[in-house]
Amino acid sequence: MRSVFLIALCVLALALAAPPQEKGIIINLDNGELCLNSLQCKSSCCLRSSGVSLARCAPQSAENEECSKKSLYGTYYRCTCESGLKCEGDLSIGGSITNTNFGICRDPKSS
Amino acid sequence: MVGHLAISQCVSTQIISYRTLGLPFLLPGAEVCFENLGCFSDDIPWAGTAERPIAQLPWSPEEIGARFLLFTQQNPEYHQASKQREKRKICQGTAWECTKPIQNHEITTNKEILLASNYNGTRKTRFITHGYIDKGDENWLLDMCKLMLQVEDINCICVDWKKGGRTRYTQSANNIRVVGAQIAYMIQLFKTIYQQRPETVHIIGHSLGAHCAAEAGRRTPNLGRITGLDPAEPYFQGCPALVRLDPSDAKFVDVIHTDALPMIPYLGLGMSQAVGHLDFYPNGGEHMAGCEKNIISQIVDIDGIWEGTRDFVACNHLRSYKYYSDSILNPEGFLGYPCSDGDVFESVSVLFLLGFKAHRGRCFPCAEGACPLMGHHADKFRRPSGAEKMKFYLNTADARPFGRYRYKVSVTITADRALLLTGSMSVALYGMEGNTRQYQVKKGVLNPGNTYEVYIDVEKDVGELTKMKFIWNNSVINPMFPKLGAEKIVLQRGKDRHTYTFCSSETVREDVLQTVPLCTSV
Repeated sequence: MRSVFLIALCVLALALAAPPQEKGIIINLDNGELCLNSLQCKSSCCLRSSGVSLARCAPQSAENEECSKKSLYGTYYRCTCESGLKCEGDLSIGGSITNTNFGICRDPKSS
Repeated sequence: MVGHLAISQCVSTQIISYRTLGLPFLLPGAEVCFENLGCFSDDIPWAGTAERPIAQLPWSPEEIGARFLLFTQQNPEYHQASKQREKRKICQGTAWECTKPIQNHEITTNKEILLASNYNGTRKTRFITHGYIDKGDENWLLDMCKLMLQVEDINCICVDWKKGGRTRYTQSANNIRVVGAQIAYMIQLFKTIYQQRPETVHIIGHSLGAHCAAEAGRRTPNLGRITGLDPAEPYFQGCPALVRLDPSDAKFVDVIHTDALPMIPYLGLGMSQAVGHLDFYPNGGEHMAGCEKNIISQIVDIDGIWEGTRDFVACNHLRSYKYYSDSILNPEGFLGYPCSDGDVFESVSVLFLLGFKAHRGRCFPCAEGACPLMGHHADKFRRPSGAEKMKFYLNTADARPFGRYRYKVSVTITADRALLLTGSMSVALYGMEGNTRQYQVKKGVLNPGNTYEVYIDVEKDVGELTKMKFIWNNSVINPMFPKLGAEKIVLQRGKDRHTYTFCSSETVREDVLQTVPLCTSV
């Protein structure tokens, strides 16, 4: 947690030091850049592989790929679906708490 | 007398200028000779030209201390930590065991060591050489060997000359001449000991290593292939062919350019000059995708801090070997399109005054057999005889896997009412082997009835196309709930010029996917 805080501080310092550019430092982040919340990413998915790993912006899941339902955590273990797609899977209370409401992206029209 | 005075003055000012600069002054025409390798002078064109102002003689082979690490399918792994221990353990045993080569198969030009190693003269041999400051047991060289051993049975030799590379750049740029000569001498030994033809030898060199390979190739007639991975620019670009990598150095020379901007002022480390039979410029050759991350994201890399720091220093420059490594297992994702320059390859339709429209994304699709694969499988390309410096362009992804597949999409849109809409629209490809992500076709004013054309580089090969999906998004909230649809989508595949046509009469609201099947009758 402390390291995350430290990184956040560094990012903030950099953002204040650097002049505004097209490419974001805090928001509008490209894929592969470190993030703390999905709102920062251009792709609106801030992905982490495990609970302790760092999160990076990643492309959203395409149809038939694994996905997470939208959550309040801000980061995901699987990205949310691209527009027009629905993440079909179980929605459980346990899953909501542990951020593991996984599913598969499907087109609601074609099924 | 006056003339003599003028000359001596000139020489003395030269000495002073060199001394005040703190640079070693060497008499022009100095020469060093080494056993089995021949002599090396610092005369023109090796020094004293505008490109190579500082004269420096190469170090001796002992000072450079080049090592040759052999990997074969019998020993694909490398254990650095165990190496010293093992050597000590063996040499505490009998004298016979001491003469045995150590476990990690470091080979030398000693005939006994070569014969006792796993080296096999009937197999192909590939050397990999690193560049400035780098080292031969760095992960990328070992990983490249491992990947190649997965697909073919070869002798893979990582050339480590780190002592010769961790010095002043000007010295390092001359040390590669000795390393190149050592490689050439080793290839000559393979010929005498194993009757192995030089045609079966391939040297892969990154940065300075590319010119090192060129030196080896210059000394080896009929060398099979040299791959230059972003050959170093300072001291080589614009120099005569003797000094640098050149198509004459091997029977087949392929080059990947990833950092082609000029050294001054952009710090581009690679050459922009075409120096091979085939020259690939992925992403235009100057700015690689994924190399413009902020400093923390760059250094704190997925592959660890070390890889991240390397990328922070020279991301574009190091991409060349990453593409090459990726292309070993995934050849199809690196199809190069012949083109005169990167701007022409990039997908822009320019609307000139008076409605005259010119398409600039012209180097598409591939003519029959005109597109080589960048990287490991570039040698499968049937090159027109005598052709040199052929330029090829392609785009890659921003992270591994780097391979991409290029298509041209033309979307004709329709709406139920004639509306002025602003927003963005995207398409996704669906084929026998899966589907792709959504790729944006247009952002801005969407005019029903118009056709929008764009080139997309998708992340996977979906096989034979079965359908497409269209989606659009209204950027301004519109209480009329407009509906828009793709009337016709024409998709052309880059690799074989195959064209698919998809039709639909449906229209959809924003953020709803429209399925567009193949046209039943055209």
